[in-house]
Amino acid sequence: MNHDVGSAEVRSEDPYWFKRAVFYEVLVRSFRDSSGDGVGDLRGLAEKLDYLAWLGVDCLWLPPFYPSPLRDGGYDVSSYTDVAADIGNLEDFKVLVDSSHAHGIRVIVDFVMNHTSDQHPFFQASRNHPEGPYGDFYVWSDTNDRWPEARVIFVDTEQSNWAWDPVRGQYYWHRFYSHQPDLNFANPRVHDAIIEALSFWLEIGIDGFRLDAVPYLYERDGTNGENLPETHEFLRKVRGYVDEHYPGRVLLAEANQWPTDVVDYFGDPEAGGDECHMCFHFPVMPRIFMAVRRQSRYPISEIMAQTPPIPDSCQWGIFLRNHDELTLEMVTDDDRDYMWAEYATDPRMKANIGIRRRLAPLLDNDVNQMELFTALLLSLPGSPVLYYGDEIGMGDNIWLGDRDGVRTPMHWTPDRNAGFSSATPGRLALPVIMDPVFGYQAVNVEAQLANTSSLLHWTRRMIHIRGQHPAFGLGGFRDLGGSNPAVLAYLREFGDDVMMCVHNLSRFPQPVELDLRAFAGVQPIETLGGVEFPAVGELPYLLTLGGYGFYWFRLRRPQDDPDGGERPS
Amino acid sequence: MSEPFRAAIADYLGRQRWFAGGAARIREVHPLPWLSPPEHEPRVRVELVTVAAEPADSVYCVPMSYYSAEHPPYEHALVGTCVDAEGNTWTAYDALHDRAAVRWLVDGFATEAAAGGLRYHVTGELRLPDDVSSLVLTGEQSNTSLVIGEDMLLKVFRKVQPGRNPDIEVHAALQHAGSHEVAPLRGWVATDSGPPGGYDIAMLQDFLRTATDGWTYARASVRDLLAEGDLYADEVGGDFAGEAERLGVTVARLHTDLARVLPTVRWGPEQLAALSLRLRRRLREAIAELPELAEHAGTLERAYADLGEIEHPVPAQRVHGDLHLGQALRAVDGWRIIDFEGEPAKPLAERTAPDSPVRDLAGMFRSFDYAAHSVALSDAADRQRQHRAAEWAQRNREAFFAGYAAEHGSAGFEQHALLRAYEIDKAVYEAVYEKHHRPSWLEIPLAAVQRLAVVAA
Repeated sequence: MNHDVGSAEVRSEDPYWFKRAVFYEVLVRSFRDSSGDGVGDLRGLAEKLDYLAWLGVDCLWLPPFYPSPLRDGGYDVSSYTDVAADIGNLEDFKVLVDSSHAHGIRVIVDFVMNHTSDQHPFFQASRNHPEGPYGDFYVWSDTNDRWPEARVIFVDTEQSNWAWDPVRGQYYWHRFYSHQPDLNFANPRVHDAIIEALSFWLEIGIDGFRLDAVPYLYERDGTNGENLPETHEFLRKVRGYVDEHYPGRVLLAEANQWPTDVVDYFGDPEAGGDECHMCFHFPVMPRIFMAVRRQSRYPISEIMAQTPPIPDSCQWGIFLRNHDELTLEMVTDDDRDYMWAEYATDPRMKANIGIRRRLAPLLDNDVNQMELFTALLLSLPGSPVLYYGDEIGMGDNIWLGDRDGVRTPMHWTPDRNAGFSSATPGRLALPVIMDPVFGYQAVNVEAQLANTSSLLHWTRRMIHIRGQHPAFGLGGFRDLGGSNPAVLAYLREFGDDVMMCVHNLSRFPQPVELDLRAFAGVQPIETLGGVEFPAVGELPYLLTLGGYGFYWFRLRRPQDDPDGGERPS
Repeated sequence: MSEPFRAAIADYLGRQRWFAGGAARIREVHPLPWLSPPEHEPRVRVELVTVAAEPADSVYCVPMSYYSAEHPPYEHALVGTCVDAEGNTWTAYDALHDRAAVRWLVDGFATEAAAGGLRYHVTGELRLPDDVSSLVLTGEQSNTSLVIGEDMLLKVFRKVQPGRNPDIEVHAALQHAGSHEVAPLRGWVATDSGPPGGYDIAMLQDFLRTATDGWTYARASVRDLLAEGDLYADEVGGDFAGEAERLGVTVARLHTDLARVLPTVRWGPEQLAALSLRLRRRLREAIAELPELAEHAGTLERAYADLGEIEHPVPAQRVHGDLHLGQALRAVDGWRIIDFEGEPAKPLAERTAPDSPVRDLAGMFRSFDYAAHSVALSDAADRQRQHRAAEWAQRNREAFFAGYAAEHGSAGFEQHALLRAYEIDKAVYEAVYEKHHRPSWLEIPLAAVQRLAVVAA
């Protein structure tokens, strides 16, 4: 079943490949265990590349797989240039990258540059040898009162951004957990070390990085230490280096801020963007949930209207769910948008979305809603990032600690351990889902592959349709409004490729009248079935949609002015 | 004009929502000069149609387009056929539904010149789209609005009156005040002939392309509530209170802006007494048409009499005058208020006279009641449904008022007697309207009158 490693390169040459790509976030430890030790590994992931290529995935995103004490899901990195022993070794990683490329799939990896684990050799050297070459690699202070303006991000576990190190006898700065000291970017040798680590992976052949927690790199007196100009300057330096030595690779920033602030991380629009190629658009996801809950298009329409234009060579990344809980970081101190207030006061939203759930349980396992959400994800502006398992509607296990509830093993078959591992079930690092609704005997890849009307097949068809239409990745976005506030309709346009996407956010059937004058005489073609709908006439275009129904139409532009008549001069 | 064609026009008018009263009796059709150049087809002009009405005749604005042969795409706007002096037969259409004709109607805005017996006025900078393709909006009652290009709205007044149209007047004043609560005004058109100053026949403003009206939006929320077995309004996803509160804020800002740029007065005892008298007169007229109201006459009149007790002076200003959910549009960045013509049935002078802002609050409160009960109407016997609909109305009324008071300060609006009197007046007006136009909805205002009478007693 495996393709030969090293077979013909099938990745496209397009340097802007990321603008049209469908990303797939996969946790190596939870995808496929090839060694039978109960932990997913790199070789296991490589075994499943046929499946991912079949699904239509263009790029894998691997969260941190580095050596780590695993006190923060691997984001506490103790070596920048190695692989955690339980998931494989560097050779396995190279095999995975080459094999992915042979499947036409790119690979980006998480890179945590703001901080390291306190177990990282840099930190050990820094605390033990203040005068040594790593003495200034972290932010040390004799007092713990500097930069009081910087908020504490993990308020439920940390009281301060400073922690006392008894070894060095000083305080060190940490924006996240106290076991994750921040690197000192004021030290140019830290820059060198980071760039050296990035080069290490780029040399192996990876296609880019997701850069974790980028707004916090620098500190400065009198500021909150977020989005500082120095931080942007460093990102420009990284971008320049990558462009020069490794063209076609992508930098994807995680900056959990409002779109108007996030656009700064694309860099100078005059220069076509000179920092990150991509940034996550965080507010889109909760807005989609909100819109469907309210059965109103305004939560989505509003955030799209507030999203500023981005440089031509850049792209948003959007997602429905990922390995994190839904982050409310922007909710608490932001009164710029009333939606958050409504969102936090709705008890049902609080109960379901503020916590760690997968897509299917969040949507009460309603296939119609899952399809609607996926249709929105695949058609709104930005490159969609799927979360492993959501394509089959996997469930979660809210009884597991921390964020592990949404990180359980992928369900491949109805067999032992869901086909994830041959280990004794008790040895699995995380248990498979076993409840009667979402259990692996009911929800697994094998069963859905065999059933062409499954969510998996449907998702694949949608991904393939998306791939056939450059408008989704490259095109403009135009909200069509319409007579019905429960229906969200928009055009995605790129040259001759015009897609009209119409979504019923309500559980009830709805009619909508759309102003399609620009397409008078055009017969919309529904893309899932290829059916031609009635031509656009003189009156507003009437559509009816079932509860949570949606249409993706292709519109061919009219060749000439149907009215003919001359214009008065 | 031939008698059959006149009959065709009368028949066409009789079928339009914007035409008040059943069969039209045409006294005169006054065509203005052609807007389209000679030999061009369609031939386009505005025609002013005078129709017999009580107490005075009404004048309607009917732009027409003429084709030498039938033009099937516009069949839904067909008026009829006529024969000209040379014996040629022409097929006439309502020009507002005819894209080829509308471009001649709006072209004057670009040149700001007089044409076709019309004078065009432009406020500030105006860029007409190159492609003047138009679309008639559905759902409008008393006028006809067209989208011009992508982002302009041409509102054509159907029943025209001498003097400045109040919609244009208020939009222009608010524009001057830099108000964000209305869509910006771009221009207007008046006739050259007719009474001094002519008739204002249309206004041009920015089109809120992605907006929907509050009536549709609110009723969706009510339907969502009633589809749930046993949840309260604040527990269902379609809860409208957040929107209602923001709408309250918008209306408060609108009132503040109107008071800033248009005349304000203060009502003392005489004005309040006069108001009380006016309301009582309207009530008696209503009872004459709808005897069911008579049983409450005593309590309602006492509610009006209470106006004499309220603390004065009462501030009065230009208000919307016919505010309801359908006059509020939800745009992507918040609410906008439209349609400042006031209650259509009232004479112009009364519609533009200063009034208490409480008038608009009462209108909105009545509208929440209507939205709720119009959805619940299908099951009038189900008391649980009626009760839950009433809860929805109460919740949104409170949210609206909270938004209004937070922005405006509640000062001056603790005058419950005034609010109650205006609510009664509105409900009585609605009852008479429904009796004539929509008897199946009559129970909504009647139930409201009964409720208000109990509170008043």
